Amino acid sequence: MRNAFIDTVTGAFKKRDDLFIVSGDGGLGVFDDFKETHPDRFLNLGVAEQNMASFSAGLSVAGFKVFMYNIIPFLLYRCYEQVRNDICYQELPVVLVGIGSGISYAPQGMTHYSVEDLGITQTLPNLTVLSPIDPVEARIAADYALCADKPVYVRLPKRGEPLIHTSTEFDITKPQVIENGNDVAIIFHGSIADEVIDAGVKLKQDGIRPLLLSVPMIQPLNIEALLDMVDDMKLVVVVEEHFENCGLGNIIKTIYASANPSWSLKTLGLPFSFIHEVKNTKGMREFSGISASDIVRTVKEFLK
Amino acid sequence: MQNVRDTAKEIRRTVIEMAHHSKGGHVGSALSCVDILAVLYWKILKLDPWQERDIFILSKAHAAMALYSTLAIKGIIDRTILDGYCQNNGTLPAHLDKLTAKGVEVSAGSLGHGFNIGLGIAYGFKNKKNNRKVYAVIGDGESQEGSIWEGALFASKLGIDNFTAIIDYNNLQGYGRPCEICSYEPVSEKWKAFGWHAIEVDGHDMGSLAGAFEEDHNGKPKVIIAHTIKGKGVSFMENQLIWHYYIVTDEHREKALSNIE
Repeated sequence: MRNAFIDTVTGAFKKRDDLFIVSGDGGLGVFDDFKETHPDRFLNLGVAEQNMASFSAGLSVAGFKVFMYNIIPFLLYRCYEQVRNDICYQELPVVLVGIGSGISYAPQGMTHYSVEDLGITQTLPNLTVLSPIDPVEARIAADYALCADKPVYVRLPKRGEPLIHTSTEFDITKPQVIENGNDVAIIFHGSIADEVIDAGVKLKQDGIRPLLLSVPMIQPLNIEALLDMVDDMKLVVVVEEHFENCGLGNIIKTIYASANPSWSLKTLGLPFSFIHEVKNTKGMREFSGISASDIVRTVKEFLK
Repeated sequence: MQNVRDTAKEIRRTVIEMAHHSKGGHVGSALSCVDILAVLYWKILKLDPWQERDIFILSKAHAAMALYSTLAIKGIIDRTILDGYCQNNGTLPAHLDKLTAKGVEVSAGSLGHGFNIGLGIAYGFKNKKNNRKVYAVIGDGESQEGSIWEGALFASKLGIDNFTAIIDYNNLQGYGRPCEICSYEPVSEKWKAFGWHAIEVDGHDMGSLAGAFEEDHNGKPKVIIAHTIKGKGVSFMENQLIWHYYIVTDEHREKALSNIE
């Protein structure tokens, strides 16, 4: 996913002279060729995140469209106030490119996980938030960010995620049907996608055909389209590699409370606690109750 | 320089009127940087044509009254806008919001932001081979922010020689003197060690300020350490911590205005 996003952005440099990439000392193997071919359009601003965020805001004041690249905690948490005051408040077209969404960096440790970023972005007006599920959504997210005259945050896992979409062109501002189904909808975003696809296969083996819906744009959320797409469901399950109390599941809970739909809602996310377990991503999902088998169990328990 | 000195007096009178009218604080912080702003706006900044202007950033944005007054007297904003400073349903907030007035180049208020935005703008101009310059006034208290030193560390490496920082060294921050709070001095040596061209001046001597602005950077970013007096120009406010916060009453206003004459 990371490569699909970055290749799309760097590819656009051939046609545009207003693009700039700033890295916070990350990107070995990602920008190696690019920084040789475009030395005047790339800066490594080192391990100095506050300066990186304000500096990027300044570059955009000078007329550049800036892509600011870092691991999510060092892109959004360490320099939250710079992102708030200098980028979002001033509506500057800086694209925050975050790597390591969810627990995709496990077992690097809690400092490197990004399980609360959607809680944080909900406090940032003017910021568009994208959480692609596969290389196709990542490429379209890059196309969207390249054209957006506003702050955008794209949360990416790392690389090597499987291709899920069969179509290559669609409107990323809307939820996407990955697979049609009935009675049960599974809504998801970001790096949990492979568990959801796996759960879909297992449910089908038992005669249940769930509607699989990805939500690449979390903020602003296209609530109308989302409600319309799940209108005739009995159960909606939201699954994400994110704290359950402040992610998409919680956003949909708020909508649910006011829309009062006929379907039931279940949310699966990481429990709201610091992670001390040393496990890989797969193991951590199983431990935290957000794996394919947890999704299958949740659906079956409801339909019993 | 006499006309710039007269203009500085007019800015100070306007600051006192704004502080009195709004019943807001930070009058001492605003008065300390008035002479720096007067020299910049009347002697240094290239403002015409506006699209190609030099950029001035008041990073110590709690001194916003000084900037608003300067912009009004320079004719960049309408003077009537000042009446709505810090008012209910007003025009101008106590800290800077760039959407509220022409000439407020960046929004600022939290310290240690404007300086770094300015570095990014200056680098962007250089990268585009545009000879526009960027100036940022930072406070002595503000210089305790880590972000200032992050920016300082990178600016010299990146050769941002179209950027000038001016430290309004009034030797009084929110709750004490910088040197009592941390290992503040030696200021000049610190900046030099970070690869900057550092100059120390009397921040109320217009000639020295102008000379410092015009001094050759030698390819480095420049920092002017301007020794100033908090509350400068109003004798009973000068070098008094309380005038970081105190409001200007009717009596203060009258005394202050006659003092500036």
